Amino acid sequence: MEATQPASEATVEQQILGRGAREGAGLLRNWYARLDAAARASEPAAYVFVMGSMAEILRVFDFHLVFPEVNSLQTAIRKVSGEYLNEAEDYGYSADICAYVKADVAVQLRGGKHPNGLIPRPTLAVLTNACNTYIKWAEIWERLYHTPAFVIDVPGPRHSGWTNQPGSEDFERDRCYVEAQLRELIVLCERVTGRRFDIDRLREVLAEANATGRVWREMVDLNRSRPAPFNAVGDGTVYLGVMNALRATPEGTRYFERVVEELRYKVEHGLGSMPKEEFRLCFVGVPCYPIFRRFNELFTEHNGNFVTSTYMMFASGGQNVHFEYDLTRPLESLAEGVLLTVRTAMFGMFFTDQLLAEMIEPFQLDGVVYHAVKSCRTVSTGLADTRRSVMARYDIPSLHIESDLVDKRVVAEAPMKNRTDAFFEALAGRRLRAA
Amino acid sequence: MRLLPPWQGKPLQEIIGLAREVVEDTDFPTVARWREQGGKVVGHFQVYFPEEIAAAAGMLPVKLKGAPLEARNAGSRFGSYLCSIVKTSLELALSDRLKLDLFVTHPICDAARNQAGVWNRSVPYPVDTLYLPQNASFPGAVGYLRGEYQRIQRRIEEIVGRRVSDDALRSAVAVFNENRRLLRELYRLRRETPWLLATDECYVLMALGAVVERREHNELLKAVLPLVRERTAPRQDRLRVIFEGGFCEQPPLDLLRALGQLCYVVDDDLLIGLRWITEDVPTLGDPLTNLADAYLNRSSYSPVQHDARKPKEVMLLKRIRESGAEAAIIGGAKMCEPALEEQVAYAKALEEVNVPYFVTEFEETMVSFENLQLQLETFVENVQFADDDDAAAPAAG
Amino acid sequence: MLYAAGVDVGSTQTKAVVIDRERRIVGRALISTGANVTTAAQEAFAQSVAAAGVAASEVGYVVGTGYGRYKVTFGDTQVTEISCHARGAAQMFPGTRTVLDMGGQDTKAIRVNERGEVLDFCMNDKCAAGTGRFLQAAAFALEIPLDELGRLALGANKPVQISTTCTVFAESEVLSWLSRGRKAEDILMGVHRSIATRSMALLRRVGIENEVSFTGGVARNPCMVEVLDKALGLRMNVSEESHFMGAMGAALFALDHVIGAALSNPFLPGRAAEYPPTSQHS
Repeated sequence: MEATQPASEATVEQQILGRGAREGAGLLRNWYARLDAAARASEPAAYVFVMGSMAEILRVFDFHLVFPEVNSLQTAIRKVSGEYLNEAEDYGYSADICAYVKADVAVQLRGGKHPNGLIPRPTLAVLTNACNTYIKWAEIWERLYHTPAFVIDVPGPRHSGWTNQPGSEDFERDRCYVEAQLRELIVLCERVTGRRFDIDRLREVLAEANATGRVWREMVDLNRSRPAPFNAVGDGTVYLGVMNALRATPEGTRYFERVVEELRYKVEHGLGSMPKEEFRLCFVGVPCYPIFRRFNELFTEHNGNFVTSTYMMFASGGQNVHFEYDLTRPLESLAEGVLLTVRTAMFGMFFTDQLLAEMIEPFQLDGVVYHAVKSCRTVSTGLADTRRSVMARYDIPSLHIESDLVDKRVVAEAPMKNRTDAFFEALAGRRLRAA
Repeated sequence: MRLLPPWQGKPLQEIIGLAREVVEDTDFPTVARWREQGGKVVGHFQVYFPEEIAAAAGMLPVKLKGAPLEARNAGSRFGSYLCSIVKTSLELALSDRLKLDLFVTHPICDAARNQAGVWNRSVPYPVDTLYLPQNASFPGAVGYLRGEYQRIQRRIEEIVGRRVSDDALRSAVAVFNENRRLLRELYRLRRETPWLLATDECYVLMALGAVVERREHNELLKAVLPLVRERTAPRQDRLRVIFEGGFCEQPPLDLLRALGQLCYVVDDDLLIGLRWITEDVPTLGDPLTNLADAYLNRSSYSPVQHDARKPKEVMLLKRIRESGAEAAIIGGAKMCEPALEEQVAYAKALEEVNVPYFVTEFEETMVSFENLQLQLETFVENVQFADDDDAAAPAAG
Repeated sequence: MLYAAGVDVGSTQTKAVVIDRERRIVGRALISTGANVTTAAQEAFAQSVAAAGVAASEVGYVVGTGYGRYKVTFGDTQVTEISCHARGAAQMFPGTRTVLDMGGQDTKAIRVNERGEVLDFCMNDKCAAGTGRFLQAAAFALEIPLDELGRLALGANKPVQISTTCTVFAESEVLSWLSRGRKAEDILMGVHRSIATRSMALLRRVGIENEVSFTGGVARNPCMVEVLDKALGLRMNVSEESHFMGAMGAALFALDHVIGAALSNPFLPGRAAEYPPTSQHS
């Protein structure tokens, strides 16, 4: 950057830079405030998950969307997850199960009290089979409140590579199964809310979902620039929060349009997310929320930037898929979209090697960081093997570390630091040899 | 094809010993024998697989249930916080102990669903994932599952190089129906006269079915059942318990033996996949639809299937009631998320009806049971103490 | 038959206690278990009887407990150490409702009623992270005698955070902190806290009810007592003689038999014979 700039330019910069983080935090605060109000007014709330939230249908019925996964990670960000976990373990849950589940159990046992406000009780729970723990989790609400839990089977990848593509008989069979279940979900929503389903309203929501998805993908791709304008772990997590909470709403779309403006400005002006981006990294896994900032610093202090992540793909419910709903046949198309996005999210977790193969070049990656977490076996089970397989096929250094997404008791900061230091030494040595 | 060493005409104790040897052999001699004759093998992960389809195609379906061995090759392919069975199952393949022509996994849990990727990157033969419905009570699930079975059938047909006829499927269904009937009989026998059949004996007789052709298993069971009835072991005053938590990873045989020395295990969910279908599958009509319908609508329960019609704790209490058990051992494999989560619901339900229970964890590779034995003994002595004392039922774990 | 005895055969030490009808300890003995478990049990029993100044024939009933309980071949029956510790703790501290027993190899949390009967219990799994073993590992890594760990740790100013994963991993974690220049006492405090966190998880599983009695070898570590007291928000009962707790409990079970207090007691030889996998009177 030049040392001096015209005054007007500086003002523009002030308005535009940091907007994504600032406004994103504001939107999430408002969202929690709305949930708090909804809880006090006992308005209908649907508990949903990031992989297949079914926001498209639920928004038609004006459900408040509650993301227990987001609530749980927020307890860690707010540094109170320890108390929540203890409470769930007191209730009987093992130290070895998903800490997201346990943090939520404690929220429920506390009558919805959460550091970000009151969380409404579930009127219904809607989940997919993209993570089996979703199912076990929803069974808890079934038992606590007799909440109807609707599991949508989304047949995922049967084996590596895609043999089952739109237009094929097998795809159509899967799509029909998803569509039939969505129709059943609509009947359930009608019964629970006492309202009729409005297909025109669905068309509006689908159009908005198309818009949010479009601008999201544009945003993710802007980070192919060098230096990359955002950090996929630090900033990316804020974006993910908004993406899940406000997807398919004008508010959400507007936000991402403004973020894209910011990022485009940065790209045009050669501004990166850090003063000096030396190593471009891909983050694979789920963040370490108990030491969220510190974790990222372990990399940024070596001028390593997470320019992309698998997290932004699967935790956005597979929004990396280039798919738009066909509004002339809304339900058929919704089923197709749900099938494609959710199974893409699954594909990204189970066949991460194939996803990475497609990212190394476009994002000009220097290294891959695998962060396996105790809590999430869905994401973590295959990481060590993915690393082995990617290393065998591509010449790219990688780091495999283990901790947790909420449970600070299994986060070992000192060894983590030792390993990241060694990883960067290797990256630097490699660059030196190449020069 | 006969895969077992000769057992006909031998005394019961010898047949059980032979079953134990075959079941415990991590080199899978029966499967090796099958392959020597040019046979092909489908390996399928726990819990349930429609083995009839493989059998109808002339393949040997083998249930992968891990093994008590060190995952020397496979260990490094997995992270720290995982159950043993996913590691040792892959170990069986990587160490060439078990040679397959197709491996099928199911997204029964978050670890198992990752096997598709890990195995695909690790073995030369095809790997497939069978998505069994989790929306089990949804009326459209049968049709969907029939389609999945057909897809699996196509994959199997590609491997054996010929079509599988409906008639071949129907006769396979008949053989498996008989197998399930015999297993139900074996379990009834143990439930009614647990002093005649120890837990580990019952287990090996059942588990044999996972590694031999069902026709041979049927013959053996038909010969064994009357021999068990003729036994003259004395009835003892032991606590009647059920063991829950063996639906996927299996506790070591020695653990079952130790458990059987402390109490009578009158029912369990060990290898529940072999007994998942609880009634005969019709042999008339479309065989795949019949199999899909039986899986969803005439079946047992486990922590890895969601079915609003079958809340797990309600099913557990039913199992306790029907087996006349006085207490429950609620096990769970180490790091097995579904089992550990279910333990909480089970414990709450058992407390409500005042059935004593003991919650514990096990691992297939355990070699020392001192801790567990100590705890079990404490549990049993305190249940019996409370019985005499008329105090409240203890819970432990 | 005026007396009853309990013999607690542990992996390193064997303890024996002789009590009279008023439940008073009249004799005790503590010896190394050594290689021959049966001999150790006999020896400890003989020493305790001698210390009591009574004849062995005056001891009406002997209960064996501890990991070597089936090797107490001269005994009348066996009771697990979990039941015995519960009973012993309730005798030593009558207000006891929760017992935390922390030894070198395992940790047990036990909830008891006013009679010292076990209501619920929980034990660490094969992982030694929440047991005294972790202290041994830390002592080894830091080259500090085990007995001094607790006192040293109490001097910590800025304790580090040690994860609660597993002992082997935690050892390298200790070394990582050391290489980052952190003081031994700060690391040790982290180790104590990590163990306490694991023990708290066990305690919470059985339910924490005041009073809590802390037993086992680690109960002699002042830092562990302090850290646990703080985590619990109460003061635990700690006794200098807590290592006799198991033997005391066994003696009490034996006394039940001697005074025929409970004819329906399950620990009568006839019924007890159903539990053990080994024979009793060999």
